[in-house]
Amino acid sequence: MAKAAQKLVGLGTRLGTSLVTQGPKVAGEAVQWSRPRLSKFWYYARVELTPPMPSDIPAISNGFSKIIASARTGKFMNLTVKQESWVNTLICAEVAFWFFIGEQIGRRSFIGYNIKSDYEPASYI
Amino acid sequence: MAPAPVAVSPLIKFGRYSALLLGIAYGSRHHKTLQKKEDVILARKEKMKAEEEKKKAAAQESKSEGSIFD
Repeated sequence: MAKAAQKLVGLGTRLGTSLVTQGPKVAGEAVQWSRPRLSKFWYYARVELTPPMPSDIPAISNGFSKIIASARTGKFMNLTVKQESWVNTLICAEVAFWFFIGEQIGRRSFIGYNIKSDYEPASYI
Repeated sequence: MAPAPVAVSPLIKFGRYSALLLGIAYGSRHHKTLQKKEDVILARKEKMKAEEEKKKAAAQESKSEGSIFD
């Protein structure tokens, strides 16, 4: 019993000293590691992930009217399957996924709604 | 050099971010509705429990009120 306590105390002191001596170094290395990756992320995000600006409104309404016109005149049936229809399907799927991510943020849980209640699920242990 | 970033069409950007905001609004609204329903059920259960406690207490009282051996 005393020996176990001694071992715990030793472990604690070793952790403490290693945290103090190696901590700043490890943190610095983490920053170094993440810097090129972050810059790469910003390089793409600044162009591709920016939210739409009010200056884009004419382009947005143009895009909408083009879609409606192609649906009305039946021009969408002339799209190729591999180049355009498949890519458009994937884009629609991606927009749908953004909706589900938003729902997860709104309900503050990844899987399902956490409602406060007195329901206790069955535990098998 | 790395592939150049693609200029995403504004329509797609508008669709993405509006889908995100709609999703957040729907998630929080649905959570609120479900929580409200659950609160009603919980309140009813509490009332039932309180009434049962009162009835049990009244039964205890009447049982130990008087015995025939007194």
